[in-house]
Amino acid sequence: MTVIPVVYVKGQYNHLIARRLQELGVDSQLVPPSTPLSKLEAMGADALVMGGGPQSVRSLDSLPQELKEASDLMRQTKLPMLCICVTHQLMATTFGGKTNLARKPEFGPVEVYVNEEDTILQGLKPSFTAWESHNDEVVALPPSFKALASSENCKIQAMRHEVRNVFGVEFHPEVSHTPKGVDIFKNFLAAIG
Amino acid sequence: MINNKSSTGGTVASGERLSVAVQGFHPSSFLTSETARLEKAVSTGKAIAAVSGGVDSTVAALVAKKALGDRLSPIFIDTGFLRAGEPEEVKSRLADSAIGLRVRLVRAGGRFLEGVKGQSAAEEKRKKFRETFYQVLGEEAKRDGCEYVVQGTIAPDWIETQGGIKTQHNVLQQVGIDPLTSFGFKIIEPLSELYKDQVRLLGRHLNLPNDMSQRQPFPGPGLLVRCIGNVSKTKLGVLKSSTKIIEEKLGPFNYEQYFGAVIENRFVKDPAYKKLQETAAAALGLPAPETPVDVFEDRVTGVKGDDRAYGRLAGIKIREDSRETLGWLPEKLRHAQSTIVEGMPEITRVAVLVKERRGGPPLSVIVRAVSTRDFMTAAVAPVPWKILKDIAESILKSGDASRVYYDISPKPPGTIEFE
Repeated sequence: MTVIPVVYVKGQYNHLIARRLQELGVDSQLVPPSTPLSKLEAMGADALVMGGGPQSVRSLDSLPQELKEASDLMRQTKLPMLCICVTHQLMATTFGGKTNLARKPEFGPVEVYVNEEDTILQGLKPSFTAWESHNDEVVALPPSFKALASSENCKIQAMRHEVRNVFGVEFHPEVSHTPKGVDIFKNFLAAIG
Repeated sequence: MINNKSSTGGTVASGERLSVAVQGFHPSSFLTSETARLEKAVSTGKAIAAVSGGVDSTVAALVAKKALGDRLSPIFIDTGFLRAGEPEEVKSRLADSAIGLRVRLVRAGGRFLEGVKGQSAAEEKRKKFRETFYQVLGEEAKRDGCEYVVQGTIAPDWIETQGGIKTQHNVLQQVGIDPLTSFGFKIIEPLSELYKDQVRLLGRHLNLPNDMSQRQPFPGPGLLVRCIGNVSKTKLGVLKSSTKIIEEKLGPFNYEQYFGAVIENRFVKDPAYKKLQETAAAALGLPAPETPVDVFEDRVTGVKGDDRAYGRLAGIKIREDSRETLGWLPEKLRHAQSTIVEGMPEITRVAVLVKERRGGPPLSVIVRAVSTRDFMTAAVAPVPWKILKDIAESILKSGDASRVYYDISPKPPGTIEFE
């Protein structure tokens, strides 16, 4: 059985991520971002999914404790990762990109346009409806990352590392109002399988 | 405190719970393990269950009854914030042989109203309600010689309370309140790891009649949190009669949740809101003079960027003749709603005026209907315009209110309830 711990960073929907993964037959439970690599290894983790949260990411020096820990975890782990919303922003910032206040925030239904059907967005062209809830956004990609999707208000709705199976999405694939969200988890599972 | 989460309960130092067990949910095996856990926890003791007739508390009581039999005393607390005729109806429904819960009715309406007197902020109202609720429950538990209280807390309740989105009346230990020292009893929450759809499945498995297992949620504090801002007997009265109309007309549509709220027609006179009229006009493709926007004084709950947003409600008015020509405009209104909320951080919700009656009492009724699977996100229900108009006309005819609106905010940025 595939094992994918969900890194809990205080978001409302973090529990739903584990639920969606469990529905796909994955052994998934929430773990705190302070979980040591050795423990993840002992759990037999095949990948990590990191959830959203209410925090704001500006610089790596001023992160709240749980995001500081999540940032360290991202840097240290070699596991495939899917990071959602605030941890998508955190990942961009951790690897040398930038997060700032969104020109226009997005709440509720948003049409996400797929520029590249790469891995996690397989089969989702030309666009799909996703639910969002963010005041901030990734404004500069980190080196070795490329953008995969965008919306009218937000240029980087999804990104990936050019080589590693490391992905970030601004929208929430885990909520039931993102009908194609489950495809994103399935694609992620296929990529790491 | 009983730790009935030990099989799955990842906890961290702060005492926050992390894990919800949902993997392949099977009602029968859940029931077997949960009743065994309850038997062990309560041992030879007695428990009281506060049942509201809602699916969560009813299913929780049924699970406890399976485990404890006659050592469970179910009660129904009439908080005064219930719908017209609800306490008696629920009591007789629960006594049905199919359900078999004989509840004792505890009338405490006066105490609850006294408890929230002078409070207008949503969180304060919820906290005062919680205090009265547990005081009453503690007294009743003592009276019946019960040291345990069974309640129907489900996962989203404590997720939202812990996340600071809103205080659910039934969440204590997850936010660091020890019920034993505060109120004199221990709490048992058989459903605290389940989501609504799983509770409904469990209800069906326990032979709960369909109309009860599928019953739409009704908040613990009831009409209190649908009386936006200050609570008064007048507002409660308007809410009770409007709720009856709304439930009758929307019932056949099977939306997951539909209800009304009442708010006073007091508006913010801030010049910054002037431009909302133009924002709405541009989104709707109408001239600005035809789309005035009012911003209500009383605040309403929302959730933006995963964080609680206690902000303002904007009401768009579309001139009657443009409305008749253009119809419902759901797509354009959706656009207007998102543009307003994105452009003005302090606005969390947008409603559209269905009908008004000049010179009526200075109160508005807001109709809310959503579709949702797990109550974590919600979409605005596409109620036919004709039905909304019927509802508005019936409410206005009673002379209780002067305006009827329809809330067009999804969750996020709105929440399902208003407070």
